[in-house]
Amino acid sequence: MIKGSTPVTLADPAAEKAKDETQRKRKHLLDLADWTKEEVEALFNTADVMAQVMERTIKKVPALQGFTVGTLFFENSTRTKLSFERAARAQSADVMSFAAGASSLAKGESLKDTLRTIDAMQSDLYVVRHAVAGVPYQLTRWTDAAIVNAGDGRRAHPTQALLDAYTFSKNFADFDSFEGKKLAIVGDVMHSRVARSNIELWTKLGAEVTLCGPSTLLPRELEQFQNVTLTNSVYEAAEGAHTVMALRLQNERMGAGLLPSIAEYQARYQVTEEVMAYAHDNALIMHPGPMNRDVELSGTVADSGRSVIEKQVANGVPVRMAVLYTLLVGKK
Amino acid sequence: MRTIIKNAHLIDATKDYGNADLYLKDGNIEGTDLGGDVDETLDAGGNVLTPAFIDLHTHLREPGGEVKEDLKSGLAAAAAGGFGTVISMANTKPTVDEAGIVSELVAKAEAIDQARLRPSAALSHGLSGKTLTDFAALKAAGAVMITDDGIPVEDSHLMRRACEYARELGLVIQTHSEDPSLRQDGVMNEGVVSQRLGLPGNPASAEAIMIFRDCEIAAMTGARVHIAHVSSKRGMQVVEWFKEQGAPVTAEVTPHHLTLNDSVFEEFDPIYKVAPPLRTQEDVDYLLDAVNRGVVDSIGTDHAPHTRAEKDLDMLQAPFGIGNIEVSFPLLYTELVETGKLELSLLLKLLQTGPANVMNWDAPTLEPGKPADLTLLELKTAQKVDAKIFKSKAKFSPWDGQSLKGWPIMTFVAGKKVFEREGVLEPV
Repeated sequence: MIKGSTPVTLADPAAEKAKDETQRKRKHLLDLADWTKEEVEALFNTADVMAQVMERTIKKVPALQGFTVGTLFFENSTRTKLSFERAARAQSADVMSFAAGASSLAKGESLKDTLRTIDAMQSDLYVVRHAVAGVPYQLTRWTDAAIVNAGDGRRAHPTQALLDAYTFSKNFADFDSFEGKKLAIVGDVMHSRVARSNIELWTKLGAEVTLCGPSTLLPRELEQFQNVTLTNSVYEAAEGAHTVMALRLQNERMGAGLLPSIAEYQARYQVTEEVMAYAHDNALIMHPGPMNRDVELSGTVADSGRSVIEKQVANGVPVRMAVLYTLLVGKK
Repeated sequence: MRTIIKNAHLIDATKDYGNADLYLKDGNIEGTDLGGDVDETLDAGGNVLTPAFIDLHTHLREPGGEVKEDLKSGLAAAAAGGFGTVISMANTKPTVDEAGIVSELVAKAEAIDQARLRPSAALSHGLSGKTLTDFAALKAAGAVMITDDGIPVEDSHLMRRACEYARELGLVIQTHSEDPSLRQDGVMNEGVVSQRLGLPGNPASAEAIMIFRDCEIAAMTGARVHIAHVSSKRGMQVVEWFKEQGAPVTAEVTPHHLTLNDSVFEEFDPIYKVAPPLRTQEDVDYLLDAVNRGVVDSIGTDHAPHTRAEKDLDMLQAPFGIGNIEVSFPLLYTELVETGKLELSLLLKLLQTGPANVMNWDAPTLEPGKPADLTLLELKTAQKVDAKIFKSKAKFSPWDGQSLKGWPIMTFVAGKKVFEREGVLEPV
């Protein structure tokens, strides 16, 4: 599987692969629960190196040459999938894409059987997205490959949180540390894996998180997390926030009796310039995308200089490059 | 046919008779230390000999679900768990809603010669909750209980009429009390854990509301209503309130609701997915407290086997149910009796006279004349659960590998040995 030798910039893949498994810090990225602040900072440093690579004319390094990364998306996604594939290919890894949507999976075929069949083709790592929480954990029981969670149900989307925090650190004026910073998340928190992973990450880094939304979409149990506050007032949430993150509102929520109408949501929870006036002077606007323009964010706010939404997408590649590198090859 | 079981420590729910030789004759208990010729001699080795347990709540999956379990494997599993009689649930394919299906089950089970089968029949056709089944015909064919277990009876009017009719015929109605509109697609208890794990939750209130409805209809109609698998503090409090007022309701708890809480879902293993769901430790503690205060009438296993492949699906797709009949007694003995949280005599009562009382059956004791349905329990040796040797087709278990004491080593039904544990119990 290991191809010929080429000039290396990050690490010799052959040597690293032969490295003792136990020396590698961790195998999977299922969520950020047991990550330390130091590990996250190290990952961000690696992302910086990767970002430089992506600024070159030839956006390619051989760091993952000889490794195979499989994308296993049981739930549809264009951008996240492309982002991971880019991250793998930029490091010269081979990519195998398994379209495991409802059509190709026989209904009732066990996850185990699906994985085992695919696993016979021996990828080193699978990037997995599934509509149901916990599937990445289940998969780790049935393969020796590493698993990276690209989103499982409403539970976790660790690489999204990493790129969100990374983007903040790169764009907030005079950024020195996450300590004491305030992240406000506004919208459908209940169904959001982006929210849950950001809560996990930012509090770990020393920031405070305020969650805001209608009570029907804001589970009270989330208050039990340390450094998390809940509020129904978008102004209170924005108060002093260093970044305001709006979440996507899905139409199904109206049908399910969770919200009366989009109009109610817009009137009470849309992040507008008026709302942002309460925030920190240098506050940034974030959104995991895709955005419902003029629903979660007013058009003006979305297009303003404070918005780093496009930078989030761009940063997704170096952050994911760093994740793949860290898991497969380890630190230099 | 006369049998002697020598050197047995005889205990039933009412009395500890001490060590004796027990004589069985023609399917009944004859008496202790009688002497005389016997056709068969067995040695109990000083172990506890007690009436075989009665389970009012077992899913045997036949007809239609034989890939998961059938009468043969299920009744053998029951006997291996120390059970002499089980009531099978009716949520099969087709559902047990016609007299012919009941007769067939009864006939088939008789030929199998393992634990006794007493089938339940569905309350509504196809468990659809729309039209009543022919309770009288079903009873005549051998059904002993009416239940739509698996599916809550949503329509209160139907529940009311079912209760009135069941009362007339002297039938018990067992309920699966959960409000479907609150339960929605919840796969685990709604609470701190479910919100953290990002899994849809099923709140305790869904159970409490429906238990209230079912108890109220019992009180209104005078029918005997048995609330299955009470899983929460709130639900149990509702039962207690109605009992205090003299409503004709009885309550069941399962072994898993007495020993597991929702934190097990950190592993994301659908093996723990069950309806109603495992709740918080506070709920578990309250259920045990209710047991000790005499509020709970019976322990029912709700043995609900599925295939391993089904339980390897994701948390939403995997079916609800835990297969547990072979480990229920050792589990409860080890985790509750040995730790001093529950007296052995009360545990036996909940598995013997309690269920019999719910059904208005003769209380199983070791007195002469009673049917020789017995189980021999080895309470001293701890042994690891090995699901691979289960009689049940579901050869996997949440407790696989766990060290438990209190293994049934022999079970008799009508004086005939229907189960004997292979090999010797090896200390762990």
